[in-house]
Amino acid sequence: MKPLRVFFTGVGGQGTLTATKLLAETALEQNIQVNAGEIHGMAQRGGVVHSFVLLGGYLSPKISQGEADVILGFEPMETIRALSFLKKGGLVLSSEDPVPPISVTTGKQTYPSLDYIKSETLKCSPEARFIPCISLAKQTGVVQTANTVLMGAFFSMGLLPFGLEVLLDSIKKRLKPGLVDVNLKAARLGADFIKEHSG
Amino acid sequence: MNLLDPNPGAKELLLGNEAIVRGALEAGVGFISCYPGTPSSEVPDTFFRLSPKGKYYFEYAPNEKVAMETAGAASLGGVPTLVTMKHVGVNVAADPMMTLAYIGTPGGLVILSADDPGCHSSQNEQDNRYYARLAGLPCFEPSTAQECKDMTREAMELSAKWEQPVMLRTTTRVNHLRGAVNFGEMKPARTRGEFKKNPGRFVPIPAVARVRHKALIANLEKIRSEIEHTSWNRSWGEGSVGVIASGVSRSYLKDVLKSHPEIQVRVLELGIAHPLPENTIKNFLSGLDKVIILEELEPILENDVRILCQKNGLEIEVIGKSDELPLWDEYSTLCVEQALMKTVGLEIKKDLLPAPDISELPGRPPNLCAGCSHRSVYMNVRKIYGDEAIYSSDIGCYTLGILPPLKAADFLLCMGSSVSSGCGMSRVVDNPVVAFIGDSTFFHSGITGLINAVYNNYDLVLVILDNRTTAMTGHQPHPGVDQSLYGGRPGNIEIEPLVRASGVNNVRKVKALNQKAVFEALEQFKKMSGVRVLIAEEPCPLYARRVMGIKRNKIAVVKESGPASLECLNTLACPSFYMEGEKVMINPDSCAGCMVCIQICDEIKPGSRS
Repeated sequence: MKPLRVFFTGVGGQGTLTATKLLAETALEQNIQVNAGEIHGMAQRGGVVHSFVLLGGYLSPKISQGEADVILGFEPMETIRALSFLKKGGLVLSSEDPVPPISVTTGKQTYPSLDYIKSETLKCSPEARFIPCISLAKQTGVVQTANTVLMGAFFSMGLLPFGLEVLLDSIKKRLKPGLVDVNLKAARLGADFIKEHSG
Repeated sequence: MNLLDPNPGAKELLLGNEAIVRGALEAGVGFISCYPGTPSSEVPDTFFRLSPKGKYYFEYAPNEKVAMETAGAASLGGVPTLVTMKHVGVNVAADPMMTLAYIGTPGGLVILSADDPGCHSSQNEQDNRYYARLAGLPCFEPSTAQECKDMTREAMELSAKWEQPVMLRTTTRVNHLRGAVNFGEMKPARTRGEFKKNPGRFVPIPAVARVRHKALIANLEKIRSEIEHTSWNRSWGEGSVGVIASGVSRSYLKDVLKSHPEIQVRVLELGIAHPLPENTIKNFLSGLDKVIILEELEPILENDVRILCQKNGLEIEVIGKSDELPLWDEYSTLCVEQALMKTVGLEIKKDLLPAPDISELPGRPPNLCAGCSHRSVYMNVRKIYGDEAIYSSDIGCYTLGILPPLKAADFLLCMGSSVSSGCGMSRVVDNPVVAFIGDSTFFHSGITGLINAVYNNYDLVLVILDNRTTAMTGHQPHPGVDQSLYGGRPGNIEIEPLVRASGVNNVRKVKALNQKAVFEALEQFKKMSGVRVLIAEEPCPLYARRVMGIKRNKIAVVKESGPASLECLNTLACPSFYMEGEKVMINPDSCAGCMVCIQICDEIKPGSRS
């Protein structure tokens, strides 16, 4: 396969690391060379979480500025914070549902408008897609599946050498039995959203 | 995935730290001790999780020095041993480590030093490759998950063969990468050994130590000859420009060369650079015009290479620490690319994207969790002492109290320092001094500071924030935790009697979420002098839910949003509070039900989670 660098950005507690591990394990099972990187520790207390999956033979465990083929943004403000990591010609897939930081929720700072976030993102990635991950996740009854909605969208876009069915199989195989059904539903909702809003 | 699989053949995606566990298991590790600390924690935590099924002996030690001494003696008793810690933990363990290198470690002892270039979760980015050189430890530096596994195994074997302790030096990126690992065969764990008495070797009185120092140097020379032939040090490529790379820089280098086939260089990868394989390097250097040294942090290999060139009369330009390759922070493909392109005289062509200016975006600093009892204690301390007191902080979640509005950290040195350095401060300034320490950190190295406080008659208020676990690094147990929670023998060491036995007379123990109790105790303490200790106890809410199975069904609800609730939002900075227009609200999903806000604000009342 053509080597691919996938940059994950989100907020501690959103399941960014779970999604990272899911993609990396799925790729290995599909006989794709994979290397992934995470940062643990303090960041998990509500801070920004960056993680990386590098497919197709890279050895580095991280992605530098201007290197990412894909940015998966699990939170829209964190998506624009990470735009400098995108490579020219790279693609952004992002949630459009904000998780505001405490400075915003307590009225000390203002969250950027979604219009601003989208237009800045489109300047860097004209094909960028914004997905209502949290609203779609709510349809499954478990809002924590928002990360899987984004993964469903990503797997359905043909950027990986495997598709949505492989993700669905991987969910069945790797998640705790009680979480499988809602996550399957979440992945399909993400994929359907891309299909319905294409072209 | 089964890390305990005795058979070879499996191929699994492992975290670097899990791969280290597998490597030690394959080498037949029989004894493991540690003190947890990011980025090393998943090594001991994985051993702990697997310990009901594993054949090895595992324990968490109260600190790194104890871990090193316990592990050192296990290896003196002939058992293959691993001891793990983060880089600053090696400072704590340095005393026994230095001696272990002199007297040697017959069963084999591997010391994992997990360094943190970039200070992802540490107070410094010290380069512990210096420790390997200071103590005289052969030093392995893996860069991939497979190498984490294979090098750990080989380090254990090398250590047992030469009876010398060996350092396995990782960095955050390596500990926390995930990559494919092919499992090898697993030797049976050896948990029983035999100590062969030899005071002339194992008791380093001066006469013995002098001899053992020479023995260490002689052993290192023999290991150096062996390292000259190791497959971990390999060279490849062609050209008159050479690159010598170590640790994770080897991965960055390979990725850069992959995307720049126009760069022609000769590469020497050093997986084991101490003792320095001098002949390997000398052979590599011959015929080169220039050599670039890729190593994060200190210019250790760079200086080694400069010395080799000087000794051998080699006229080679050595390119090391520079604008592209700084003394601080991590390296990356980006900085390696810049250094390489500059040296070979090529220009980097990069199309930059119009990424927006992000300096004005709202930040997202880590915060104390909803329901965290540290917030409750800090707020009361501020009510009583305000900005007048000097707050001596320590290492743990509670360091997050540095941020406004709590502002409960004025200075900090290291694990356990809050008590002793709080004392030092109190003797020379007129302000009152309040020190904060967590339960695990108190057991780690706070106790000796407390004994000093009594012994030398200090004026200090010490608040022990006892959340019943080692919260920051992932809820590891410590001596104060009832071991039966983890299937061990029941019982734990209580902090209060320990404090009293240290000679402290003014001790109060309160429930940390009880506003009246915390406030009154501190108010009383303010009127007194001498050493005063407040133990504020409340389980970490995440730990209470996940490990202790405690459920809180009550939550706080803003009944009527007015000035008092706004004041509450501003004083507590609880992440469950938010503003909807002018109204203060509490998010029922994230409210942990600690009920601190209800005790300080009439506009907030108890409600149910529904």
